[in-house]
Amino acid sequence: MATVQVSEAEKVYILHGIRDDLRVDGRGCEDYRHMEIETDMVSNTDGSAKVTLGHTAVLVGVKAEIGKPRPMLPNEGYLEFFVDCSANATPEFEGRGGEELGTELSNTLYKVFNNKHSLDLKSLCISRGEHCWVLYVDVLLLQCDGNLYDAISIAIKAALFNTKIPKVHISADEEGRKEIELSDDPYDCMRINVENVPCVVTLCKVGHRHVVDATLQEKACSVASLIISVTHKGTVTCTRKVGGGSLDPESIFEMTEAGKRVGKALHAPLMALLQQEEAQGKRRQKVGFLS
Amino acid sequence: MPTDNKRVRGPEVSQNPSLFRCKPAEAVPLHGPRADGRQRDQVDVRPVFVRCGLVSQAKGSAYIEAGNTKLMCCVYGPKETERKDETDMKCGRLTTDMRFAPFSCLERGSWIQGSQDKDFSLMLQESLQPALCLHKYPRSQVEVNVVVLENSGSVLAHAITCASLALADAGIEMYDLVLGCSIRQDGDSYVVDPSYMEENNSSSVSSENQGGLTVAFLPSLNQISGLQSDGAMTEETLTAGVRTCTEGCYKLYPVIQQALAKAVRKGAPPPSES
Repeated sequence: MATVQVSEAEKVYILHGIRDDLRVDGRGCEDYRHMEIETDMVSNTDGSAKVTLGHTAVLVGVKAEIGKPRPMLPNEGYLEFFVDCSANATPEFEGRGGEELGTELSNTLYKVFNNKHSLDLKSLCISRGEHCWVLYVDVLLLQCDGNLYDAISIAIKAALFNTKIPKVHISADEEGRKEIELSDDPYDCMRINVENVPCVVTLCKVGHRHVVDATLQEKACSVASLIISVTHKGTVTCTRKVGGGSLDPESIFEMTEAGKRVGKALHAPLMALLQQEEAQGKRRQKVGFLS
Repeated sequence: MPTDNKRVRGPEVSQNPSLFRCKPAEAVPLHGPRADGRQRDQVDVRPVFVRCGLVSQAKGSAYIEAGNTKLMCCVYGPKETERKDETDMKCGRLTTDMRFAPFSCLERGSWIQGSQDKDFSLMLQESLQPALCLHKYPRSQVEVNVVVLENSGSVLAHAITCASLALADAGIEMYDLVLGCSIRQDGDSYVVDPSYMEENNSSSVSSENQGGLTVAFLPSLNQISGLQSDGAMTEETLTAGVRTCTEGCYKLYPVIQQALAKAVRKGAPPPSES
């Protein structure tokens, strides 16, 4: 992860503050920074979303393509994740520097979605064993100020909500081969049910307490963090400990409980916001990248 | 896509014959007994065979066999680092590399490191790093290479155990041995140290609690240095699973300690005749 250098005095200051539930920018230990979400900003994709969390900015584009289903799961579609750490974010990511971080992020995303409940993959099947929808979810990191996992997972949820997959039907032509026809009406499309898509919460252990949505400075003071992905029902789909330190079993239990609480509380306002944005329709003013 | 020019590859499209099987592979019954006679819902780990000091060229090495899972690990170092930046001046660096031999799994894998291998290597590094006294090796690098010879379930957990044994055999200073244990949750029951069939067999009934969990644990210090879970589980199940895994690690601890003591005694010079 992109790092900043923090002096010993700053570390002590941050530690003491967190011990008293007061972070450097005045937040409590379980408060998020100001978050802005906007969908449907890239017209060439089937769904897109941009999330700005404090100074972290993430752009996700979803493109749906027709492909062959996996041999072991012939009546399901699938998702492919790719995370690109652009050199815009920090100079460390220039060339192949961001590749390691990008692989780590995409591997975690595969694990987060590796269960039957998050997305209804059967609805992505076109014809069993031959054609299915493959959703390519491409994540671009524009700015990096800590807490990448959370921003990426929220952006993916928003982008999948925004994704419009065109409806197809299969017809058999003269020689008996199957032909796929896309419907002519651009508004005739299928939407994905994102109710069960999980959101990731990152909890950093700083001193004896944990903080949600850590900035880079706070991350530099922590030895280890726990990533936990939670659905709106409170089911945990993926957990992972990152960082070079070790954690007490008791802290892990505390952190999973806090993570579940925070994650569960994130979904309802997010869905309400996305539906509100969608309801505005053509009247919506696009903010874009200018703010 | 990186291509491998050194090895003769088969035809572009070749598939595993098991895909063409007429009847589906038998699913392991959900609440029935386990195939190898171990108990469900109990901390029943497979008996392990461990040996240190197999590879004479490496500074330290270890081999572990648990059921049919076979892995070996070699440790090289401490040696001089290639890259020098500020953190390297104060403490050492640990690099891990975990690979699956192409013949290790049911389906042939490739020698080129896929994303799953990189993921395991990263997990291994995160699990081992807290246990090593890297501040005693400034400007140096310790390399850990794990090769999975046969994948018969809970590979990451055994890789962690094997790697920490190899590090101890190499004489790298450590705070404690790191042991790994994994469980697989299926509905209301769980199995500890799952075999390959138990890991990959998802029951047709899509129950609420289904997933796998791997924990890396330092027994003497009671610290968890690595945790990874996937699937969909409730938080209570996850907490209970972590407790079960730590119990499994405690069970394994005496065996690993004995193996290490044996290797040290074998390597020590014979007592002088006086």
